[in-house]
Amino acid sequence: MNQNSLPLAKPQPILPIDKPKDSPLFVVLAILAFLATLTLLSLSASYRSSAHWSAGLTDTATIQIKPTSLTDEQEQPIKARDILLTFKSVKHVDILSKDHSQKLLRPWLGDTPLPDALALPILLHVTLHADQKLNVRELATRYEQLGIRADIDDHSHWRKNLESRARAIQILSILAFLSISIAIIAACVFATHAGITTQKTLMNVLHQIGTPPQYTARLFSTRFALNAFLAGCFGALAAFVLLFIFSMFFKISGTNIFFLPEFTFGLKNLYLSALVPLFMALISGLATWQIVMKSLLSEMYP
Amino acid sequence: MITPQIHTSDLEHKDECIAFERVSFSYQGGDNILKNLSFSLKQGSLNFVTGPSGAGKTSLLKLMYLHMRPKSGQINVFGQNTGMLDLLQIPPLKRRMGVVLQDFSLVDHLNVFENIVLPLRVTATPRADYVQDAISLLQWVGLGDHMAAMPETLSGGQAQRAAIARAIISKPDILIADEPTGNVDHNIGQRLIRLFVELNRLGTTVIIATHDTKLIPADATILRLNNGTLLQERMQS
Repeated sequence: MNQNSLPLAKPQPILPIDKPKDSPLFVVLAILAFLATLTLLSLSASYRSSAHWSAGLTDTATIQIKPTSLTDEQEQPIKARDILLTFKSVKHVDILSKDHSQKLLRPWLGDTPLPDALALPILLHVTLHADQKLNVRELATRYEQLGIRADIDDHSHWRKNLESRARAIQILSILAFLSISIAIIAACVFATHAGITTQKTLMNVLHQIGTPPQYTARLFSTRFALNAFLAGCFGALAAFVLLFIFSMFFKISGTNIFFLPEFTFGLKNLYLSALVPLFMALISGLATWQIVMKSLLSEMYP
Repeated sequence: MITPQIHTSDLEHKDECIAFERVSFSYQGGDNILKNLSFSLKQGSLNFVTGPSGAGKTSLLKLMYLHMRPKSGQINVFGQNTGMLDLLQIPPLKRRMGVVLQDFSLVDHLNVFENIVLPLRVTATPRADYVQDAISLLQWVGLGDHMAAMPETLSGGQAQRAAIARAIISKPDILIADEPTGNVDHNIGQRLIRLFVELNRLGTTVIIATHDTKLIPADATILRLNNGTLLQERMQS
């Protein structure tokens, strides 16, 4: 190197730049970021799916009319619908066709043609006004008075069941996310201690030449935050790509696993994924700052 | 004739840069390494701390450059009672002292130039303000051709001169050196001592711990330690 040009060259970084990607800790942080992102996106998907399912069940009800004769089969659904429409909470009532009823019975009866004389249950699909409930007891009384045999299902049982399962999934996801977050914090603290041990000479020299402790703490915390951010980006990106592939698979195949949250590829997921490296950088930066300051202050003038 | 600067009461004297009053020191749980020392050093003086191995020379220097606290007694640096200082007030005081340690303490991943300008970088001094001074300083200590060299490629004498250059780059009021000639041969040792004397003539208070009394120049103040006690303070004619 030309000696004269040396001082004009870019100053060497005070803290040596190692290759973070070669560090086992970088890999560990990237894996934790991957898991954290997966959990966060699963949590988000479970909330979204749960809300979607609940909304679908809350605003609807199903009524099964059980006629005893062919005459009943034609008259009772209309009477039942008319009574329903007198309820303020009811927005709309659909009488499902006989074919529809036959289709619903097909899993039990197969494709065997049913005799025309057989009276089949008729289904009424009821749409309610938003945030309103069907008064099941009053409806049952009025049907009874008119001699209509009916099963009324306002989906409350199924909804409660669904909500409790969704809540269980959400709690598990939150616990998993918290566990991973704690692991991230522990890994960041460990990485900081390891980094300080490696750079003990540098820290001693900085201390000896009267470097303000805040300067040294900033030097280390900036570097460690940056490394954690990079590891976080790797992990989050990998998780995001994986979910993207999943969502594409479900979209193309048109399948979905019942009750598993539906993963969708959108900007909201991208923002959530971006939170993970930011969170890791913040945790790492703060942990490093605390550890370095504590170490310096305890050694400053013991 | 130079009078040794020994005081026990007049610690507020204006031209004193370091003053010890009844200072004792021991490492945790051990016997006192330094026992009831009282003395003061004048600004601009040239001082040598001598004594056999284990006499407490390094411990005395560590107390001077605020690396450790005394077990008892009071240490004043630049007129400030260091026992009363807030921890965050220590670094500014340390920046007024240059310290050269036995092991040189050069930073492995920085070249010679970056090592010596480190005290200026950490105080956010603009690079343009010190580049020329740093080049001149390196030439002055005989390392003008080694600015880009990494510490591991330097000889003991070169590393020692780099450490001295780093200690004086920010023009400290006090230069403290612990056995600066311990790892070099006698000739280089003499050259280093001449360097310290020259710095002292420029106004820096110099305090050097050495066991090699042959290197002490004629006009220096000597603090002779033995078994933790300041046995004798004398000047040489």
